Amino acid sequence: MQIYYSPGVAIRNKLSKLLMRKPGKRTLSVLVIVLLLLWGGFLVFIGWAMRQPPEKFGRVMMHMPMPAFFLFPFETMWTQARAGSVQPGDAAPDFRLPTQDHQAEVELSSLRGKPVVLVFGSYT
Amino acid sequence: MAFYAVYIVEAHPTDIWQMKSNIKDNILFANPKTDEERAFVAGACVRKLGIKFPAVIDGIDNHTEVAYTGWPDRLYLIDRDGKVVYKSKPGPFGFKPDQLGEAIKKLNLVEAAR
Repeated sequence: MQIYYSPGVAIRNKLSKLLMRKPGKRTLSVLVIVLLLLWGGFLVFIGWAMRQPPEKFGRVMMHMPMPAFFLFPFETMWTQARAGSVQPGDAAPDFRLPTQDHQAEVELSSLRGKPVVLVFGSYT
Repeated sequence: MAFYAVYIVEAHPTDIWQMKSNIKDNILFANPKTDEERAFVAGACVRKLGIKFPAVIDGIDNHTEVAYTGWPDRLYLIDRDGKVVYKSKPGPFGFKPDQLGEAIKKLNLVEAAR
């Protein structure tokens, strides 16, 4: 008795054999290297995004699923990316900004002679 | 000692990276695009959060935020000569009022010894 296989069945059988086969050392090594490269690329991308202006960074992060946050050291990278140029001992950059009630303006340099605390933040 | 809140670009507006916690708390504002819109949200921020010290509003070009790397939130202590003596790590992780309190105590000791 002769059995005929269609091309579809032959491909399916080959795939089944490949998937069932125990992966060799070479296959595993290639897989690990590919995963490391993907992870490295992801880290570079996140590092780049963290150095962008807030709105651009936010537009990247809004598309990131929550599990992805566990794939990189967010706090460490964030602290480095947002270190900024002003450091303790430096002269505080001067500014002249309107008060929230628009009744006056505050110029930092005009406050010389007394210590000043600045609390940066927003509502959301 | 003078305290100022510096209202800067929103961290999680409704149109950019909105947080579920803000939806729950009904803090829903789109990203302000003009000085007027920013002033409106800043007013709501000051009123709802009950900020007691004066608040100033950064320009829509974010020039003060850029100079201080203040986003999303950050604390600074500046001495009477205009030099930075304490700068927190960037928020939210680095926003630690306790550390600022310690820095203020140290600065007061230095000032008293002058």
